Amino acid sequence: MKPALRRYVGLVYVAPALLFVAAFVVYPLLNLIRMSMTSASLLGGGAFVGWNNYLKAWRDETFWHALLFTLKYTAYVTPILMLGGFLLALLTAEPGRIARFTRGVVFLPVVIGLGSSSILWVGLLDEQVGLVGRLLHDFGLVAQPPVWFVDANRGLWAVILTVVWKVIGFGMLLFVAAIQSIGIDIREAAMLDGASYWQRVRYITLPLVMRTLLLTTLISVIGSLLAFDQFYIMTSGGPRSETFTSVYWIYQNSFIYFKQGYGAALSIILLAIVLVLSTLHLLLTRRGAET
Amino acid sequence: MRIQNLVRRALMAAALTVSTCVALPSMAAENLSMWVRASGANAAQRLVDLWNSGHADKITLTVIPDNQMVSKLATGVGAGDVPDLISFDLIYMPDFMRAGFLTDITDSMKGDANLPKVAKAFTELATYKGRLYGTGFTPDVSILIYNKDLFKKAGLDPNQPPKNLAQIHDYAKKIHALGPDIYGFYFSGSCPGCNIFTTSPMMVASGAKMLPAAAGDEPLAGSGVKEVLQLFRDMWAEGLIPKSAQSDNGSNFVATFKTGKIGIQGAGGFVIADLKKEVPNMDFGVAFLPGIKEGQASAFVGGDVIAIPKGSKQAAVALQFIKWELTDEAQLEGLAKNNILPSRSDLANNKYFQADPRVVTTAKAIGIGYVPWVFHFNDMVNSDASPWIQMIQSAVFDGKVDDSIAKAKAKMREIAAE
Repeated sequence: MKPALRRYVGLVYVAPALLFVAAFVVYPLLNLIRMSMTSASLLGGGAFVGWNNYLKAWRDETFWHALLFTLKYTAYVTPILMLGGFLLALLTAEPGRIARFTRGVVFLPVVIGLGSSSILWVGLLDEQVGLVGRLLHDFGLVAQPPVWFVDANRGLWAVILTVVWKVIGFGMLLFVAAIQSIGIDIREAAMLDGASYWQRVRYITLPLVMRTLLLTTLISVIGSLLAFDQFYIMTSGGPRSETFTSVYWIYQNSFIYFKQGYGAALSIILLAIVLVLSTLHLLLTRRGAET
Repeated sequence: MRIQNLVRRALMAAALTVSTCVALPSMAAENLSMWVRASGANAAQRLVDLWNSGHADKITLTVIPDNQMVSKLATGVGAGDVPDLISFDLIYMPDFMRAGFLTDITDSMKGDANLPKVAKAFTELATYKGRLYGTGFTPDVSILIYNKDLFKKAGLDPNQPPKNLAQIHDYAKKIHALGPDIYGFYFSGSCPGCNIFTTSPMMVASGAKMLPAAAGDEPLAGSGVKEVLQLFRDMWAEGLIPKSAQSDNGSNFVATFKTGKIGIQGAGGFVIADLKKEVPNMDFGVAFLPGIKEGQASAFVGGDVIAIPKGSKQAAVALQFIKWELTDEAQLEGLAKNNILPSRSDLANNKYFQADPRVVTTAKAIGIGYVPWVFHFNDMVNSDASPWIQMIQSAVFDGKVDDSIAKAKAKMREIAAE
């Protein structure tokens, strides 16, 4: 077969994948960009408005506040998930019935939908009828059951608590798999050399699970930057719009105010920000891994 | 002669056959489709069942999740694929009429004997530029509920609900004095919809005009807005309202009242059946939401309206259904019999409600109630970031009453100008 022809045959092989990406990624993205330059609304409109929606977004204080809040949430929740997941993996990676049982219990909330778990926690954290407040009160830790969502900061920590409960098992499982893939001979050699448990963790386990750590961090960062369900259900963006996340604000504009053109512009801005942050994260972690 | 007769008969027979064939399609029973939002599905089903049991034309109901109704209708109108009838949250009526989603029924409804009896709030809301686009279907309305058991314990007359704002404050104080975990008043402080439903009628009753129908209109006009916010602020500062009210986004709208530790609060008509079922031993009363002075009262008329989407393929039969649903038969046997409020004010005191005077009071509230005629209701009121809820939170929980009203007015003007 001639080399030129061989190239075309290769193209035929990748054509289904290319078509899929073109239909389900490229076309919607181009359509989103087009929509972001219109006054499209569910209730009419759709005229071309150029960069107006982007200029409006620049002046939209709630959007920038929501973005900062989302970054703050990401900065808080990611280390907790990584560190917690890693420590839990260290505890449960060893073979044994108790370890397997613990892994199962910690992983159980992962299979619950984020929406369902948020509704569950709204009930548990409720001041009047919630179990958490009652327990804290009965153990004498608080004089009165706390009202969690009355303050943005306390509300944020309540959401973080519930998200950690919900997803920490996922990171733990990835870490367990990574730890279990480390050869027993390496650990035995270190033990023969007299390395303590923490020395083995620091100098053997941690470097060898670094790729998993980077992967789970990236998943966690992207997931946190796109947080929506938990805040929609638990805080409703309150008090006083202080706990709106970026996606929540996009949803608000697109589906509550029906301003789809403006919502599309906000989505493009968020997409660019997530893209830049993810690239930066990948570059930094790659350099870190190489050194 | 005989041949002529034969020809004549043959021609007559042919004409009859042709006319029968032509007439048949219009006489044949039709199948109509109707969309209803999930919240109103139960009530709508009762009416549709009653209609289907007595009419050759049948209606099939499709339940649409509340938050998908606007997008489904918008895309349906755009694609020319709409149901024959639609029942939706009445607050969208002005936006839908302006967007051209609905069929003008003014001329067809002219002379309908029941239309003038429909609660004024519905007819006003369904009118755009002097033309009618729909009417009331399955209403709900806001009322004031109070715990008679707590009233008795506090030395108050359980048959005398508060009749003005000062009395709400006074009674709330007396009820809170019963114990630190007993509260005089409750409202969902982070729920914009709950507050337009239960708090704004107190403002309207006090003479306020709430939302701007046009760009130049003054929003939140009148001293009633400040009076009500100040009342709530004072009760909050005095500890008469539980702390959890501040973060309640509506999920505990009436759940807190069910604990038996709340004296007074605004609620909806739906709460009567709910309380009777959930807390059968609680003795509670129902009254109109009052204003500053005794004798002033109002309510927020909520629930669903009915209309014919533009592009309906069975508009004529759909119109028959709309006319039918306003008749005594539909209002009483379809709604009242099933403990659902009628949209006709003249039927508030009907045979089915007489067993419980609280239901009669609730049904009467529809007749005195209001509903704001406004575009962008979600932006102004219903969203979690609306100027309406920002104003309430800032005024009640931060004490910035005047400042919060000024900011809300400015934002509402900005939204109205869009």
